[in-house]
Amino acid sequence: APAVLAQAPLVMKMQTSWPASDIWMDFARQYVTRVEEMSGGRLKIDLLPAGAIVGAFQVMDAVHDGVIDATHTVPVYWYGKHKAASFFGTGPVFGGSASTMLGWFYEGGGAEFYRELTQDVLGLNVIGFMGMPMPAQPFGWFKTEVNSVADIQGFKYRTVGLAADLLQAMGMSVAQLPGGEIVPAMERGVIDAFEFNNPSSDRRFGAQDVAKNYYLSSYHQASEAFEFTFNRDFFEDLEPDLQAILKYGVEASATANLALAQREYSKDLAELQADAGVIVRRTSSEILEAQLGAWDTLIADLEGDAFNKKVMDSQRAWVEKVAYYELMNAPDLGLAYEHYFPGKLSL
Amino acid sequence: MTDPQIALMMLGIFIAFVFLGFPIAFTLMALGIAFGYYAYFDPSRMWRGYNRLTEDASWWESTGLWIEGFYNNRIFDLFVNQTYTVISNEVLTAIPLFLFMGYIVERANIVDKLFGTLAIATRNIPGSMGVAALATCALFATATGIVGAVVTLMGLLALPQMLKARYDHSFATGIICAGGTLGILIPPSIMLIVYAASSGVSIVRLYAGALLPGFTLVGLYLIYIIGRSMLNPKLAPKPTKEEMPEVPWSKLIVMLMTSFFPLAFLIFSVLGSILFGLATPTEAASIGALGGMLLAVAYRAMTFQRLRESVYLTVRTTAMVCWLFVGSYTFSAVFSYLGGEHVIADFVMGLDLTPIQFLILAQVIIFLLGWPLEWSEIIIIFVPIFLPLLPLFGIDPLFFGVLVALNLQTSFLTPPMAMSAYYLKGIAPPQIKLTEIFSGVLPYCGMVVICMALLYAFPQIVFSLPEAFYGPSR
Amino acid sequence: MLWYIRFADQLSAWFGKTFGWLIILMTFGMAYEVLVRYAFNRPTPWALDLSFIMYGTLFMMGGAYTLSRGGHVRGDFLYRTWRPQTQALVDLVLYILFFFPGILALVFTGWKYSSRSWGYAEVSVNSPAGIPIYQFKSVIVAAGILLLIQGLAQVFRCIICMRTGQWLQADEDVEETEQLLIKQAAEAASDAAAKAQR
Ligand code: NA
Ligand code: NA
Repeated sequence: APAVLAQAPLVMKMQTSWPASDIWMDFARQYVTRVEEMSGGRLKIDLLPAGAIVGAFQVMDAVHDGVIDATHTVPVYWYGKHKAASFFGTGPVFGGSASTMLGWFYEGGGAEFYRELTQDVLGLNVIGFMGMPMPAQPFGWFKTEVNSVADIQGFKYRTVGLAADLLQAMGMSVAQLPGGEIVPAMERGVIDAFEFNNPSSDRRFGAQDVAKNYYLSSYHQASEAFEFTFNRDFFEDLEPDLQAILKYGVEASATANLALAQREYSKDLAELQADAGVIVRRTSSEILEAQLGAWDTLIADLEGDAFNKKVMDSQRAWVEKVAYYELMNAPDLGLAYEHYFPGKLSL
Repeated sequence: MTDPQIALMMLGIFIAFVFLGFPIAFTLMALGIAFGYYAYFDPSRMWRGYNRLTEDASWWESTGLWIEGFYNNRIFDLFVNQTYTVISNEVLTAIPLFLFMGYIVERANIVDKLFGTLAIATRNIPGSMGVAALATCALFATATGIVGAVVTLMGLLALPQMLKARYDHSFATGIICAGGTLGILIPPSIMLIVYAASSGVSIVRLYAGALLPGFTLVGLYLIYIIGRSMLNPKLAPKPTKEEMPEVPWSKLIVMLMTSFFPLAFLIFSVLGSILFGLATPTEAASIGALGGMLLAVAYRAMTFQRLRESVYLTVRTTAMVCWLFVGSYTFSAVFSYLGGEHVIADFVMGLDLTPIQFLILAQVIIFLLGWPLEWSEIIIIFVPIFLPLLPLFGIDPLFFGVLVALNLQTSFLTPPMAMSAYYLKGIAPPQIKLTEIFSGVLPYCGMVVICMALLYAFPQIVFSLPEAFYGPSR
Repeated sequence: MLWYIRFADQLSAWFGKTFGWLIILMTFGMAYEVLVRYAFNRPTPWALDLSFIMYGTLFMMGGAYTLSRGGHVRGDFLYRTWRPQTQALVDLVLYILFFFPGILALVFTGWKYSSRSWGYAEVSVNSPAGIPIYQFKSVIVAAGILLLIQGLAQVFRCIICMRTGQWLQADEDVEETEQLLIKQAAEAASDAAAKAQR
């Protein structure tokens, strides 16, 4: 062992797409501790927030070029290269949750599609894995009450990926911005409504200071997962055990992230209501139905591209089988909740 | 040497090289690339192709790949990536539009009308022409944001009249220099956009935050002008009846309506739509530029020649500011890749300063930098070094930004680089000496310092508007 | 060399000035966005993307023009006091050491970066309007080529200046108001002085 100990650790530069204060930096840190501990100090990760070396939306190019070795991001941030990127984050909602779609990635052929898209179709020199499956994302923050599709016409709304196409089809004008720029953009008038992801991230960047109406439950982004991408040369030059640590560290971090997300997301939602006077409601069924309708149109458009169709067919087949089991099997947990905490939910 | 020490060396070498006088954008670019080449120097990756060659490869092939290895450094990719980040920076898009608005307005033949009218309107106030000159400068500088143009135009149009009215040379020139410099502080100021892009502070919060300090400074200037004129009327003799004929109220109102109000309206609509979130700064600037063109048409000052000049000057000035960003983004990415911030933070924390000591130290350094350098270099290159330290001392970057904008007022006024004074000297009648201008300007530097102390004592001057408009600071 | 300098100056100026007119397009484009947003409640999906595409193209394509007119800011408080020959020597060395490596990277690495983008017809992620940005990424290459051409002209300027002790100025062009007024004042003063002597 002394020979190994004497060796200086290999330092991996990993930049995220998140501002330094985002809870997602804590998620990335959980990955970092796991990898560093598992490698017995042979691998050290220099974790940097968005903008430290390149911009939040530039991480994919930067990993390809090797400007950074790895990134913690989401695929929708580079869907300008190919719309199919969004299937690994913000794709059509066929009835599966984010966990269902993470299952598709690892056991339903998704990983091979991801490899084909990044390496063969786009020619990017990267290797990637998907991490924590995110809770379905709220419809987001509005300055006024919004109950109908008519209410949201003409809003300048921030979302990302195919969700942007979706909400545009519903009559909104959509801008895609990195998380750190949302509140300044609200103040500047670039947007007047937005969603980011979850109560903790939203609270930390100050959503409650620029809007008070927070709408939960939505079909616009119901199945996103974090993306870990590595420069392929960097990754393949590593010894096999270190490669395995980086790869399975992604799986390990998913559990740790989920636990932390459960604690923090729920706590922040409660505090947003209690301390910041945020009004929390569920998105109206009219808007939700319109979202599904808009997905129909969008799916038809996307199917014009052979690769898109191939991926969506695979996802649809997976969801049809897997979600059938999940949904048929799932007990009505709301009922149990209502039983012990009566009157709290308003579903 | 450790990487962070190398980063410090990079900064030191940069400061030394700046004085060689080479265009700073390219100096930054070069040092960013040179130190980045070191940071990203990794023989196994750079010569990957060469190392993978089989033994039967030809001499040509192996030499070619060996040379290619030198170029195969990832710093070049970082440089291009950062360049793209600058050219797609949405905050900076307001810069060319505000510059264009400024160039159009400065060509709209508005200064002499404005000054003439305001001189009549203020004629019963002590130091009336001085007050009128300051008001004209403040308004005009706010609309154009271009220091040189304001100072020279005022020097040509207002200074002769003040001298004819036997104003003291120092007193008169000081007003014009100080007033003409206000445009970089009072929003919509290009300098604040640049600070926003460098610091990540929301531009609209900065605009709101700089508004009251700007008015406070103008207020101090006014108190000084009126006060000194009362104490020593010889500095600013009251104009005689023939110098300043009586004008009936009705006529004065018409004069104001055609000179003061259109420009004031333009400024208020641009600023108002920004502060109330009706339009982004970029959109408001486009409205401002359109309004400026309408104003020029109304004053019969709009010719194709002037439009063309404004367009060309807009290109050059935008390129000047934004190419600095191209250089500095790569420079600071490499600086942070090497871990430079940490050493500076450790060093400064080691000094064991209190927040006020740190604040004073930072402002003194920025003041000193203002002697040899221009505001754009200071904000784009040096201010970012202080920014990561602010949270350690609990200083709001918004507050810091307003202090910097105030501080840099003085850099236009103090020798050896007192640009305002040189501009004025360049067009002033020969009997005005440079030393007279300098001594006239000195009190204003004092008032800037007083204003900074006021802000420190009453931070609400900075924070109340942004908090009223956009909620608590984060 | 003189021929080349004139050629480069004109080329840079032509590109800088031509792309400068984007500012008019930008003015009307942004104003249109405000109009349709408030008058018709129909904000455009393209205003944001087009604003930075126009801004970025304008200032990148103006880089060489600005260089030819000496418009890039210098920390020149020592530089100004040197003899022109010294200035030219220092400039010459620094053009070779500082200027060309980076500008070559803009051209070659920029080419790599933008051709990748052309390869998958990249569009902006900022809006679902799908505004193409591969052509915008090529602006990096175009600006690099212009700067390369102009940089060589600046090198020739340095060489001429080292021989003659005089900087070769670019042709007459628009100047900042203050420079123009100061120049006029100086000319008037020297005219007056000449008259007085006669
Ligand atoms: Na989201
Ligand atoms: Na100065």
